[in-house]
Amino acid sequence: MAIPASSKSSCPSAETLWGAIVLMVAYGVVPFVGSDYLLDAVLTPFLALALAAVGLNVLTGYTGQVSLGSAAFLAVGAYAAYNLHLRIPSLPLLIDLVLAGGIAAAVGILFGLPSLRLRGFYLAVSTLTAQFFVQWALTKFGWFSNDNPSGVIDAPVLTIAGISFTNAAERYVFSLTIVVISTLLTLRLLRSQSGRNFIAVRDHEVAAKVIGVPLLRTKLLAFGISSFLIGVAGVLWAFAYLRTVEPAGFNLDRSFQILFIIIIIGGLGSLRGSFIGAAFIVVFPLLLSRVGAALLGSVFDSGILEMSQRIVIGALIIGFLIAEPRGLIALWDRTWSTLWSARRTAAPTCSLTQRSLQ
Amino acid sequence: MFDYQFFIEVLIGGLLSGVMYSLVAIGFVLIYKASGVLNFAQGAMLLFAALTFVSLVERGASLPAALVATLATMIVLGLAIERTVLRPLVNQPPITLFMATLGLSYVIEGAAQLLWGTQVHGLDIGISDTFEVAGVLISRFDLFAAAVAGSLVAVFALFFRYTRTGLSFRAVADDQFAALAVGLRLPRVWAAVWTVAGIVALVGGLLWGARLGVQFSLSLVVLKALPVLVLGGFDSILGAIVGGLVVGAIEKLAEVYVGPSFGGGIETWVAYVAALALLLIRPSGLFGKKLVERV
Amino acid sequence: MEGGQVAGIATGAAALGLEDDSPDKHVRHARQERGKAIVSRAEPVTLQSPVLGLSNISLGFGGVAALRDVDLQVAGAEIRAVIGPNGAGKSSLLNVVSGLYCPDQGEVWFGEHSFREVPTSKLAAHGVARTFQNLALFKGFSVFDNVLMGLAHRVRAGFLRQIVGSPLARRIEAENRSAAKEIIGFLYLDHVQDSLAGTLPYGVQKRVELARALVGRPKLLLLDEPFAGVTLTEKQELSHYVRKARDSFGATVVLIEHDIGLVMGLSDRVAVLDHGRKIADGTPEEVRADPAVIDAYLGDHGNDMEFAI
Repeated sequence: MAIPASSKSSCPSAETLWGAIVLMVAYGVVPFVGSDYLLDAVLTPFLALALAAVGLNVLTGYTGQVSLGSAAFLAVGAYAAYNLHLRIPSLPLLIDLVLAGGIAAAVGILFGLPSLRLRGFYLAVSTLTAQFFVQWALTKFGWFSNDNPSGVIDAPVLTIAGISFTNAAERYVFSLTIVVISTLLTLRLLRSQSGRNFIAVRDHEVAAKVIGVPLLRTKLLAFGISSFLIGVAGVLWAFAYLRTVEPAGFNLDRSFQILFIIIIIGGLGSLRGSFIGAAFIVVFPLLLSRVGAALLGSVFDSGILEMSQRIVIGALIIGFLIAEPRGLIALWDRTWSTLWSARRTAAPTCSLTQRSLQ
Repeated sequence: MFDYQFFIEVLIGGLLSGVMYSLVAIGFVLIYKASGVLNFAQGAMLLFAALTFVSLVERGASLPAALVATLATMIVLGLAIERTVLRPLVNQPPITLFMATLGLSYVIEGAAQLLWGTQVHGLDIGISDTFEVAGVLISRFDLFAAAVAGSLVAVFALFFRYTRTGLSFRAVADDQFAALAVGLRLPRVWAAVWTVAGIVALVGGLLWGARLGVQFSLSLVVLKALPVLVLGGFDSILGAIVGGLVVGAIEKLAEVYVGPSFGGGIETWVAYVAALALLLIRPSGLFGKKLVERV
Repeated sequence: MEGGQVAGIATGAAALGLEDDSPDKHVRHARQERGKAIVSRAEPVTLQSPVLGLSNISLGFGGVAALRDVDLQVAGAEIRAVIGPNGAGKSSLLNVVSGLYCPDQGEVWFGEHSFREVPTSKLAAHGVARTFQNLALFKGFSVFDNVLMGLAHRVRAGFLRQIVGSPLARRIEAENRSAAKEIIGFLYLDHVQDSLAGTLPYGVQKRVELARALVGRPKLLLLDEPFAGVTLTEKQELSHYVRKARDSFGATVVLIEHDIGLVMGLSDRVAVLDHGRKIADGTPEEVRADPAVIDAYLGDHGNDMEFAI
């Protein structure tokens, strides 16, 4: 299991520096040079999935409660924001966004109640209840989709304080801003006592209880925060990325996709990993289908290519897990630190000593 | 006036279809008990078995030949999975193993459809009519399926009670370290279990295929098996059977009596809600091992 | 440094009767240890109202009685040992006190408050802390954060205040950090405070767990086999820290132990459990002379007792 950043960060400078560089490029360069395809089909879904992964990581990676129902909370966020916008037009979009997250959090806390008694796979399977129930309710009750027969909703124009975010670059910047703010706040939470309580519950529940960590509150807080973030990610997914969504788009495969991000690639309990994992999960299938089509498109039909893609992705999941059960990010960190410490053994920097502990 | 005869008909229909759930759930329990893996690929294996059998028959193989060939394929598949996927992941946390079986299900589903195509196949085992007992309609197919599932369970019970491998399995399921300490070879037990899981998948695949048609959605029967497992406990074969019956009955009854007031379609989640309600009373399922926490 | 360590091991071995494992010898060595303990004790034990009281505690697991009618009074600032052979019910006793097991009968008293079933989540608030037999550190945390966790119950600011860093949240965080820092210094853990707890030697981890229990300045400290599985030197170090904790903070200590030699030297009073029943209770001298105790240890299952290591 990856080690969460120490709450007593001994060298914030290096981390902050890298973060600032990434942000400068993300804001100052990408929106101007990125093609519409890159911004629309790669970066915006990447941001939404990364935020969802951050959310799931709070619950699964930090608090140790496995959830298989993330897509349900994406859907709750998306449909809540849609209805808030539709039914209370006077509310500013940002308020819609926060309230939608809040509604997702409320639903998450409700479905998180079993975590007080259940553990492991029993809890994981029980979270599937949310997955199936939410999808069913959104399809069944026309009210949620303003009586669209198949539950499809169309996103409104993103407008904040009179500024509209309509084209690809603008929607990307909108998503980026929401994701950056949410992630920073999450980071602060994780480094506070509440965040430490999460990890304590994950690492040793009995000890945490004896010390006086309020188990009930801590677990429900984890479910709430996690669902809040995933709900907000759902709003981005529906409003900034797809623009038109239906309940079927938030199926079990989507839940598994988010789980893949944090377990196979991102490593549990690593926010940085959530981002790298989300990038991978978005880019890799695009790459695979392009390469497949380019190399074999003339020989095989698209059905066969699709099946082959499924096999390759499945095999890669297995291969990655065998290569590094703690997530590819751990492999990356190890290689990185070996390379660096080989070059600079004399004066290892602070961040390197931290890494080598992992 | 409450129609008791109809109620009983629904109940029996539910119980019989519940047996089919049990059949899938048993495959899970075997592997879970022996190695702590929640094998999500069980549904994909089911699909693979049914698709292989149907395709062989369609290509002109006789029924027994197709059956033997499919059986052999499933055994090889089970052994291959154990060898290439599970063994390298020994001692990893349960969630990692679960993810691996998820990846596995992608591979198997992809491979099955790549090999045999994606079209829907019919599978007719020649039993389809219903008969009446005391005014209650009973599906002959459901009864047949229940009988097959029942005899499979009986065979396993004998196998685990009287064979060497069966005894080793029980030892491993009880305490892996103790089993290692007395010299049992875990890989051999795991291989046996995956073989058996392959056979269960074949039987389940044929029965489910006959009912739903052999197609991709067959692999989704895992989602029906999960609430059964939660109800019965992941580590109890008896639980899988009883859980299957309970889930089958609840699902059918709810569909008939509760569903209409919600506009139908509740079968996707009603089993989960029922399982959850029970779990809150008994956190390890009906028959799951209750562990006393030692600190 | 090294020489001192070797000497420490040698005296430790002597005190624990390593050279000769006849029971008489243990008793004698234990007496020597005890002599030292008396000298080092800062002030006499004040026997005011008990900090911890157990009355008529009985506990069974499916027909097997783990505890039968156990009474126990622990006075303020005393070091109280509960000893007994394997399976005597010692751990069950501690788990009843910390609310992890619910007794079939009887009551647990913390000062004036009595409980039929101790609410584990309120232990810290009642000034009770404990350690665990098989270490229960948080592996994902540094030593410092592990110790800091011992103050989790003091954080009253809600999570939103913690995120935005309200004055209350900041003040509590700062107080807790300095308290953690202090206890880390007290137990000489400064040099490892940034290491991951799970990577340290077992004996050091035990000390970290002690620090986590002590950081909240508990009135009552429960130690579950604090000396199990550590080296002789570490045993002596740990027993020194336990005494130091009592002397400096006035903590009342209840400890469960196999290692009778160490316990006799460290404790003010000793209770002996056998087959779930309390068979003796008193000063180490009294207990040692008690025929029932001698019977229990040297009788039918005398071999269960681990005299050393």
